[in-house]
Amino acid sequence: MSDDLVKILDGNTFVVSDPRGDIEASMTDPTGLFSFDTRFLSRWVLTIDGERLNALSTDDLQYFETRFFLVPGTGTVYIDAKLSVIRQRAVGDGFHEELTILNHDDKAVDLTVRVDAGSDFADLFEVKDALQKKGAYYCRVEDGRLVLGYERETFARETWISATTPCKVEESGLTFKAHVEAHGEWTTDLHVVTAQAAWGELREETKYERHRKTARPNQERSLQKWLDDAPSLDSDWDWLKLVYQRSLVDLAALRFSPRTSGGRSLPAAGLPWFMTMFGRDSIFTSLQALPFAPELAATTLRELGERQGSRLDDFRDEDPGRILHEMRYGEMTAFEERPHSPYYGSVDATPLFVVLLDEYERWTGDARLVRELEFEARAALNWIDEYADLQHNGYIWYKRRNETTGLENQCWKDSWDSISFRDGTLPGFPRATCELQGYAYDARMRGARLARRFWKDPAFADKLEAQAADLKRRFNRDYWVEDEGYYAIALDTEGRKVDALSSNIGHLLWSGIVDKSKAKSVARHLMGSALYSGWGVRTLAEGQGRYNPIGYHVGTVWPFDNSIIAWGLRRYGFKQEAARIAAGILDAANFFDGRLPEAFGGYARDVTKYPVQYPTSCSPQAWSTGAPLLLLRTMLGLEPIGEHLVVDPALPRGIGRLELLDIPGRWGRVDAFGRGRVDVEKRQRRQRQLGVIEDGKKATKAKKK
Amino acid sequence: MSDPTSTFFADLAARGHVPMLGGTSGTLRFDLEHGRRVDHWYVTIHRGDVSVTRDRGDADCVVAGSRELFDRMASGTANSMAAALRGLVKPAGDLRLIIQFQRLFPGPPGSVVERTEAGYARRPS
Repeated sequence: MSDDLVKILDGNTFVVSDPRGDIEASMTDPTGLFSFDTRFLSRWVLTIDGERLNALSTDDLQYFETRFFLVPGTGTVYIDAKLSVIRQRAVGDGFHEELTILNHDDKAVDLTVRVDAGSDFADLFEVKDALQKKGAYYCRVEDGRLVLGYERETFARETWISATTPCKVEESGLTFKAHVEAHGEWTTDLHVVTAQAAWGELREETKYERHRKTARPNQERSLQKWLDDAPSLDSDWDWLKLVYQRSLVDLAALRFSPRTSGGRSLPAAGLPWFMTMFGRDSIFTSLQALPFAPELAATTLRELGERQGSRLDDFRDEDPGRILHEMRYGEMTAFEERPHSPYYGSVDATPLFVVLLDEYERWTGDARLVRELEFEARAALNWIDEYADLQHNGYIWYKRRNETTGLENQCWKDSWDSISFRDGTLPGFPRATCELQGYAYDARMRGARLARRFWKDPAFADKLEAQAADLKRRFNRDYWVEDEGYYAIALDTEGRKVDALSSNIGHLLWSGIVDKSKAKSVARHLMGSALYSGWGVRTLAEGQGRYNPIGYHVGTVWPFDNSIIAWGLRRYGFKQEAARIAAGILDAANFFDGRLPEAFGGYARDVTKYPVQYPTSCSPQAWSTGAPLLLLRTMLGLEPIGEHLVVDPALPRGIGRLELLDIPGRWGRVDAFGRGRVDVEKRQRRQRQLGVIEDGKKATKAKKK
Repeated sequence: MSDPTSTFFADLAARGHVPMLGGTSGTLRFDLEHGRRVDHWYVTIHRGDVSVTRDRGDADCVVAGSRELFDRMASGTANSMAAALRGLVKPAGDLRLIIQFQRLFPGPPGSVVERTEAGYARRPS
């Protein structure tokens, strides 16, 4: 997708258009108005007297609202416009567009204003895979509005289009006769309603209207409140403030409220194509955002818990206790041509569900939710034993049962070639990647704490701890690549170590499954030149058979991955290394104006001098947005211990002062301060990139407000 | 009482307490039409305690569909979420209740592959 496309959204309703505000989609071209995974408008083209318009500028007012400044003309060098056109568009249950034409001339003009409209009602999956429709289209004009529709058996979707000024409504669009006085203006409001979306309900109005200001500020206020509720940050390294602000605003845009959540929101995976519930992405982003917006974790846990697997279903890769992978609402899901109703094909979301529940309680003290979700957490822990251990040897394995539309790799590195031996050979299935075993270990340890403290079941806690200890012992024997001193990326069915060196070993530190005696070697590999590019840890180390600096999971650097690795390094006491990870990723963030992409190239920093963006269609991506937040936590060394928040800062050199004020949690609100070292000479030149790191002050308890 | 729908509700009533619904309270009414008749099933859930009647009173969530479809959902051959997206089932009211309730339906028959075919999940006995 090209970068000059304009994207605005409200939950899972979004518009992607060109810089003029026009939409001219084809089956393969991802522009349009989308809602509940269906395209409701694939054509929306404005002309004046038969002429297309030129964009002068586009003004992103909010993530749900934008304004296009246009002039008539065909884009020659010299534009002598007597007219200008403003389109202001806000998304919500479709979109509302205010169209205004300004006449700069001394004479009145009469214009033919035309808006072409049409919809192909493509499912998002069809847009991705360029598939053909199986149903029938219809189109009618009724009560002065244009109704575009699509039907396949009982499946129906409709778009309603109308205007507030008189116009001729035809099946192909709306035509206005506009008389504009000298130095005057003409204006109309266009309503495009996603009238029939999912669940068979009918909507008759868009959320926003020019004179219905009560609806509009709803969203704005919640964005403002969102920003006000988050801790405030101050630092002498100015760019950090930019990155932080960007992360908070993007995270606000990524909030998604399922119909069952009573208006509460959880992080969707990415904008715009992944504006839906994803087990893994929603959990990781909630973890990253815990010190900043803990309510996201609560909603994620509740909503995922309500949809937890309850039966064996091969098509959906569902088992009892399993946490879902992805939820979709489009036509292909409805007709079971895709399994996303929901699809359960991930194996990490389930243990991570328990990890998030425990971490959430440690921050917030919300014991009620832990008790409320006891059944779901126990079912998740049971799933690890009963359903994930496909080889009956005490590890989590994955192999899809849906062999046509299911996912082959059910860990976070889900591309086809992500898991390989050092020489590049791909192992067969099932596979047991290493980080899964770490998550399982952590889930049991944390589950034991919850069982003992909240579920009054010390016997279960003992059992979980014994299982965890046994897993740790076996894991450190079975996965350890002795000659190199790191953990294999996976085991294959023969019990062989899939011995590639990968970033997965950093997740092991985070989970705590690494033997103390092995941690130093793991950290050394993570920070060595084969894995560490200077910007971050590569997904796969340079020198491995499948290494490719722009390979999706085989050499690129993922900010999310690095934030978890930094957390892991801190867990084992490698403060300076964690700060170095933070420095590299934050430096990279500045090259992307504060918005980290999903991944960037694994080229060595001293070769390219800037991070090379990996071309992906989703931006912002939730767990990339969350990465700077988690890095703030690791730099400040924030850790909830009992009723207190402990602060143990280790800042990268170049950040002299870091303050995070009003951190919410079981302690109420507290402030955290970090001091670091700054090179005075560089300071005078306003050091943009961070250098090497230094320890901060000694550990202190956070200052209670 | 040998059709899958009646059997499903009878089994549910007999269970009395459903741990999976331990966090759920509310009422659901299923309006299932077949021929010119509409059967009503009224389910009351209180923190996992479940009772079933044939009442036709107001409920927090009302689910309308055909008896034939419900038969298939109750025997695992139709998926309720996909059916709702197709417009075959029309839930109204508190959708949270039907999202949780539908988890009681069984999976598709034959969805279990024996563990001997290395690498598949087993159904616990």
